[in-house]
Amino acid sequence: MLSAESYLKKSLVILAALAGLWLGMFFPTPALAHKVYVYAWVEGDRVQVEGYFNRSQKAQGSLVEVFGPDGRKLLEGKTDEKGLFSFKIPQKTDLKIVLTASMGHKSDYTLKADELAGGGSTSRPTLAPASKPEAQRAAEPAGQPAQAVRPSVPAPAVSQIDGDRLRAMIDEALDRKLEPLIRAMAQANEPHGPGLTEILGGLGYILGLLGIVMYMKSRAKP
Amino acid sequence: MHISEGILSAPVLLSGAVVAVAGTAIGLRKLDYDRLPQVAVLTSAFFVASLVHIPVGPSSVHLILNGLMGLLLGWVAFPAILVGLILQAVLFQYGGLTVLGVNTTSMALPAVLCHYALGAAARSNMRYLSISASFVAGFGAILLSGLLVAAALVFTGESFWPVARLVLAAHVPVMVIEGVFVAVSVQFLKKVRPELLEIIYAKR
Repeated sequence: MLSAESYLKKSLVILAALAGLWLGMFFPTPALAHKVYVYAWVEGDRVQVEGYFNRSQKAQGSLVEVFGPDGRKLLEGKTDEKGLFSFKIPQKTDLKIVLTASMGHKSDYTLKADELAGGGSTSRPTLAPASKPEAQRAAEPAGQPAQAVRPSVPAPAVSQIDGDRLRAMIDEALDRKLEPLIRAMAQANEPHGPGLTEILGGLGYILGLLGIVMYMKSRAKP
Repeated sequence: MHISEGILSAPVLLSGAVVAVAGTAIGLRKLDYDRLPQVAVLTSAFFVASLVHIPVGPSSVHLILNGLMGLLLGWVAFPAILVGLILQAVLFQYGGLTVLGVNTTSMALPAVLCHYALGAAARSNMRYLSISASFVAGFGAILLSGLLVAAALVFTGESFWPVARLVLAAHVPVMVIEGVFVAVSVQFLKKVRPELLEIIYAKR
C-alpha cells in the first residue's frame, strides 16, 4: 500500500508544514485575529484600558480615543507594549473608549458613570491632593491620628479627624487593599472569544437553514 | 480578515454589498438544490474554521477555507460564506453586519476565481497537477483576500502598500497551512468521495 509515491507525498506535506512553521517564526505576526477586544476598569482616579486579541496577544501601539456622552473627544493615546493605556478620569460621565488596531480591527467599550464613582473617584479628584499629605502626616510621625484609627475607635480620637479626611483615608486604604482584587475582577470580566454555546448555536442555525430551504424546495417539486 | 464595523467609508461598504448581493444571487441561481447538504456542511466548516487556532511560532493562525470552498462550490461559495459570516458577526461579533458585504466579497471573490482558474486542474487525474493546483488554490485565495482587505482599507485613508504588506505578512503562515490543507483535502476526497468534487451547479 505504501508505495514510494505515497512516501514522497507524505514527505512533501511534512516539508510544506515545516516551511509554514518556519515562515511563521520569521513573521512576528502583529494582529492575526478576527477581533480586537478592549476593556477598561477604574483604578483609583485613573482608568486603565487594555486592548488584546486574545489572552496572550495584546494590542500594542493601538490608538485609544475616549469620548464623552455627547460624542466629544476628550483625549487620546496609544497602548504600550503590554496593550495597556491609562488616563486620569477627565469627567464623571459615561466614557466611550474606542480602540483602533491595525488591519481594520476596531472595538469600543463604555465605562459607565457609576463605575467611575464606584472606583472611589467621587471624592478622589477633589480630595486627592488633600488626602495625600494627610495620609503621610498620619503615618509619618506615628502620631495620634494613625493610631487613633486602628484601635476600636475611641470617641475622642474620632473627634480629632473630621469626617471628610477620615473618608479620604479610608478610601485610600481600601483602594490599596482592593487593588489586586479589582485587577482580578477586571480580568475575569474581560470579554473574550466565543464559547461552546455560540459555536453550537451557529451550527444549529446552519442546519436549520438547510432544513427550511430543503423543505421549501421539496414542496415546490411536483 | 474580518474588517470591523465603523472603519470603512460608506461607498466602500456599499460597493462591497453590491458585489456580495450579485455573487449571492448568481450562486443561488446556479445551485443544484439536491446537493444543498454539501453546501451546509462546507458552510459549517467555514463557520468553525476561524475558531481552530493553529500555533505558529509565537502566535497562532486560523484557517479560512475560502480556497476549498471555491474549488468545491464555485459561485455557491458566495451564499455559503455570507451565511457563515452573518452567524460569525451575530454570535462571535467578528466583523459586523454593516461590513458584511465587504467581508463576504473579500473572502468569496477569491474563492470564485480559484474555481475558474484552478478547479479543472484540481480535479484532474494527474496527481501532481491536482496536488499543486489545490495547494495554489488554498494559498492564492488567502493572498487575494488579503489584497482585497488592503484595498478596502486604502479608501479609509491608509496607503495601500504598507497595509497590504502588513496584512500579507501576517497571513503568510495561513497561506501555507491552508494550501497544504486544501491539497490534502482534495486528495482525500478524490479517494473517498470523488462525487463531492463535482461542481454542484444544477444541470440545465
